Amino acid sequence: MSALAELPNRRVEAWKYSDLRAALSEETLVLREGRDIIERLAPGVQRMAIPAGESRLFVERMDSPYQDARSFEFTLAPRAQLTRVIVQDGTAFPLSMARVHVGECARFTQFVLAEGARLARFETHVDVEGEGAQVELNGVYLAGAGRHADLTSVITHKTAGGQTRQLNKGVARKGGRAVFQGKIVVEHGAQKTDARQYHHGLLLEDGAEIFAKPELMIHADDVQCAHGNTAGGLDDGALFYMRSRGVPETEARALLVEAFLVEAIPEGLPAELREELLARIQNWLRRCVA
Amino acid sequence: MFDVVDLHVAVNGAEIIKGLSLSVPAGEAHAIMGPNGSGKSTLAYALAGREGYEVTGGTAKLNGADILAIEPEERAARGLFLSFQYPVEIPGLPALTFLRAALNAQRKARGEAEIGSPDFLKLVRAKAAALRIEPEMLKRPLNVGFSGGEKKRFEALQMAVLEPRFAILDETDSGLDIDALRIVADNVNALRSPERGLLVITHYQRLLDYIKPDRVHVLAGGRIVASGGPELALELERDGYDKYLRAA
Repeated sequence: MSALAELPNRRVEAWKYSDLRAALSEETLVLREGRDIIERLAPGVQRMAIPAGESRLFVERMDSPYQDARSFEFTLAPRAQLTRVIVQDGTAFPLSMARVHVGECARFTQFVLAEGARLARFETHVDVEGEGAQVELNGVYLAGAGRHADLTSVITHKTAGGQTRQLNKGVARKGGRAVFQGKIVVEHGAQKTDARQYHHGLLLEDGAEIFAKPELMIHADDVQCAHGNTAGGLDDGALFYMRSRGVPETEARALLVEAFLVEAIPEGLPAELREELLARIQNWLRRCVA
Repeated sequence: MFDVVDLHVAVNGAEIIKGLSLSVPAGEAHAIMGPNGSGKSTLAYALAGREGYEVTGGTAKLNGADILAIEPEERAARGLFLSFQYPVEIPGLPALTFLRAALNAQRKARGEAEIGSPDFLKLVRAKAAALRIEPEMLKRPLNVGFSGGEKKRFEALQMAVLEPRFAILDETDSGLDIDALRIVADNVNALRSPERGLLVITHYQRLLDYIKPDRVHVLAGGRIVASGGPELALELERDGYDKYLRAA
């Protein structure tokens, strides 16, 4: 119980929508020393450095049926490029923590496809540490009945001329719960930062839950920042348009949700990977919407 | 071909269509003209089966089969087509993907084999060429960034591919400049045939200069208050709807 007591519950602000203590109360826990709770649950921090000018693709599959805590630290040297894709369909406790350091003119792209689990959380902290660096941090959640998916991020612009594009989209069904917490910090010296953060959720039925907490903290005076956040249902007009052309309602709903979600898949992924992501979304829609 | 008898339609409990009867034989094009608020779009939506447009009385039959009791997608599979006044934009859904889903869903509903990708592309290219529509347009998301003219031309292309028996054109002229109007009208005329009926809903006579109707009906106060030949449209253009509004 002492280990459990150290876990965050909903009274801890950053975990208010994902009560890890309650979720893990039946699990056997070993907590390690460390800075962050997921890092302490993980077997160790995996470190990856991308040398100057090189590019890497890193695909993580979180498909374990057991507690699956992972912790990463990525360092991008000047002009390095890293594309990180997480595909999660494990059903227990996928917990992911990443700290990312982005150097001068480097580019970090991340996409999370989360099907949710008893409690799934993907936490990403990005420090933009070199001028002209670019960050694209996207995600799609598919929160079916009994699933919980939490996309949490903090992007801190510490240097000038950085760019952030963040687009998260997702759907929740009755009994499903999705969380988006996105904070963008623009520090005093990070002039000419251009940051945009969007989150759009679709509630497919009554009894679906989407919690969103977008935050912009801007301490520089010459920046462009925008954010937008919506949650709603499918557009009745679009649904009727498709049905009037002969597409049955269930198929029309699936096509509309797919069209809504695909916008969040970043451009430039290898074709095979993009196909896989699309196929996973389509399979989920076939199971859960059609 | 298309027979509506004593149709009553209510929206949010208020009766908008109050006993409308209409009969369009195969091969003919009929026009319904009426002022704003006369119930033109309500009629179109009710016939296509939109939720919220409650049919409270009357019948509508396509080739003898009642269409009011079946779902919108079933009406489409039976051959009913509604060209929208404002076609819906759907970001993320390529126009071609949508059209193929529609065609195959209709074929499936009719017990026909689905059409494969290569045959479908061949079909669409041929139909697009006949209507002089750039195939580039079809790669874009459905109606997103289409001009008013492009949206209406894509409606015409959908009609060409889906080959409905009866098409309702709801204010096809709205949002079109004079050149676009002529092009869209040419597209619609190319789709007229002895087996197909057309119902053209408009409040300007202008569209009917290009799509020549066999009959013109005046809709006012939820009923058809006058019917006549094409000359009726010219009279309306000259004298307005006043006398019909007073009568209604």
